[in-house]
Amino acid sequence: MKETTAKRILIIEDDPHIAEGLKLNLSLQGYEAAIAGSGTAGLQLWKSFNPHLIILDIMLPGLDGLSVLRHIRLEDEKLPVLILSAKGETDDRIKGFTCGVDDYLAKPFNLEEFLLRVERLLTRSSWMRGGADDGETAEGIALQTYAFGDNRIDFTTLTAQCRQGTIQLTEQEAKLLRLFIANRGKPLTRKELLEVGWGYSGETSTRTVDNFIVRLRRYFEADPQNPVYFKSLRSVGYLFDHP
Amino acid sequence: MKQTKWFIHPVFIFVLSTLALVISLFLYIHWYIRVSASLQWVISSYRLDANQFFEAQTWVVILILSLLVGVILAGILIIFIFNLKTLQLYRLQHTFINNFTHELKTPVTSLKLYLETFAKHDLPREEQLKYLGFMLHDTERLSTNINSILNLTRIESRLYEGEYRTVDVVETIRHFVASNHHVFSNCDIRVEDHPPLVHPLIVPLFEMLLINILTNAVKYNASDTPRVDITFEERKQDHALLIRFRDNGIGIAPQERKKIFRKFYQGRRDGLAPVGGSGIGLYLVQQIARIHHGKVTADSEGPGKGSVITLSLPRKDHEGIKNERDHSQADPHHRG
Repeated sequence: MKETTAKRILIIEDDPHIAEGLKLNLSLQGYEAAIAGSGTAGLQLWKSFNPHLIILDIMLPGLDGLSVLRHIRLEDEKLPVLILSAKGETDDRIKGFTCGVDDYLAKPFNLEEFLLRVERLLTRSSWMRGGADDGETAEGIALQTYAFGDNRIDFTTLTAQCRQGTIQLTEQEAKLLRLFIANRGKPLTRKELLEVGWGYSGETSTRTVDNFIVRLRRYFEADPQNPVYFKSLRSVGYLFDHP
Repeated sequence: MKQTKWFIHPVFIFVLSTLALVISLFLYIHWYIRVSASLQWVISSYRLDANQFFEAQTWVVILILSLLVGVILAGILIIFIFNLKTLQLYRLQHTFINNFTHELKTPVTSLKLYLETFAKHDLPREEQLKYLGFMLHDTERLSTNINSILNLTRIESRLYEGEYRTVDVVETIRHFVASNHHVFSNCDIRVEDHPPLVHPLIVPLFEMLLINILTNAVKYNASDTPRVDITFEERKQDHALLIRFRDNGIGIAPQERKKIFRKFYQGRRDGLAPVGGSGIGLYLVQQIARIHHGKVTADSEGPGKGSVITLSLPRKDHEGIKNERDHSQADPHHRG
């Protein structure tokens, strides 16, 4: 590796011993590492620390690792993420890869293998960034524009053309729309929407979700009282679909 | 657990067999009445002596049939309920194994990580000491986990080696808290000043009870310095010795107050570090209280307001315990 600045690696792991051990080894390899002890802390550091790679545990307090991963994937498709989990069964691995993880390692793991995987993930991601990487994370938004019915959403400018004309979307509305688009035709529970869309966990009221759905319907539905795109599923949550 | 096919699902089988039984009862009676009606016809047309055939009354036959069917039905119901219970226990055990493997894997992962680091790098001495401390702590975690499983089996099968000793409960608790200070390093555990309370205890078991109650108070706690107040009361009306453990933890929801003593049951802790543990701590506490002929209850003013675990030990029953001890000593099976 020939970069001038050290690559930043974020460790989201709740066991302090393992987290510290990982940090020690990564620092010895010349990386700059930071530790987050919970899912929510991880998301905060993802924004402020701006890492090149994330090492993620699944069993985390509050917001679990897979929700963290899905939340990240809404905004950044390219950021390499490696799951390090005690759950090593095929089912668990498949769940992880479905959520968009790049690599999966079961605990207890081999240190050398772990370090080599980390190095490989970082090398690959630097190719994808076209070598023009100067410490900025790639704005890996997979989705630029999206159309359904008479509506057009432009995620680069956060605007939408809908029956109200051209409107400006808030960051949160855009995030929620991405989540719905990514899960088109699949029901999402209020809890999932809250955890993945907002990065919240715990007691936060699910009314927040309902209020946002009301807004989205007002923007995009011809008749907000009888929605066709953002459908309610009784005692489940919401479903986004269109022909 | 894998989804079973609908036609071998217990509920389906239960409904089907109940239905079959009720239909068969109906048919028995129906046919019986028809056959006896035709017999009646035969008797009356051939002018035979009716008493030769109808010794028993129709209703007696129906009654006996219904009783038998009722017994079979009750039997099926009992088997059905038993099956449901087993299934529930199986699921609990499954989650327990999942949690417990996680509990074992975490310290093993940490140990392996540091050992490999040590093999790979030459760290300065003070850093080595720090990580060696981590590793020692991890081995302690492992042995605690393993011990709790071994103890569970021994206590459940009442094979625990232990002598009742008449000791001062206040002093025992105070000594225990003082000697385990390193486990509760950032916690404030206060034992009430109380004149000596002499009571027969199996001390190692009683200490196991204490450690489980105290670690729960600390684990299910969101405050910066977890605090536990241990108080004593001698209740005269029912001759009971009450030991209360009041903590400033996250409290217990009303619907969980009984459940937390179930085997493998783990309380929820929203927004806090993952539960950890195996779900057997308070179950052990309850078993140990029972061995001491006492009982343990949990109270809380609600979530967020701390909880009180009350251990009540019977004071008048010294004789009973002594008798049982003699009995168990006489019976080799009791002591393994």
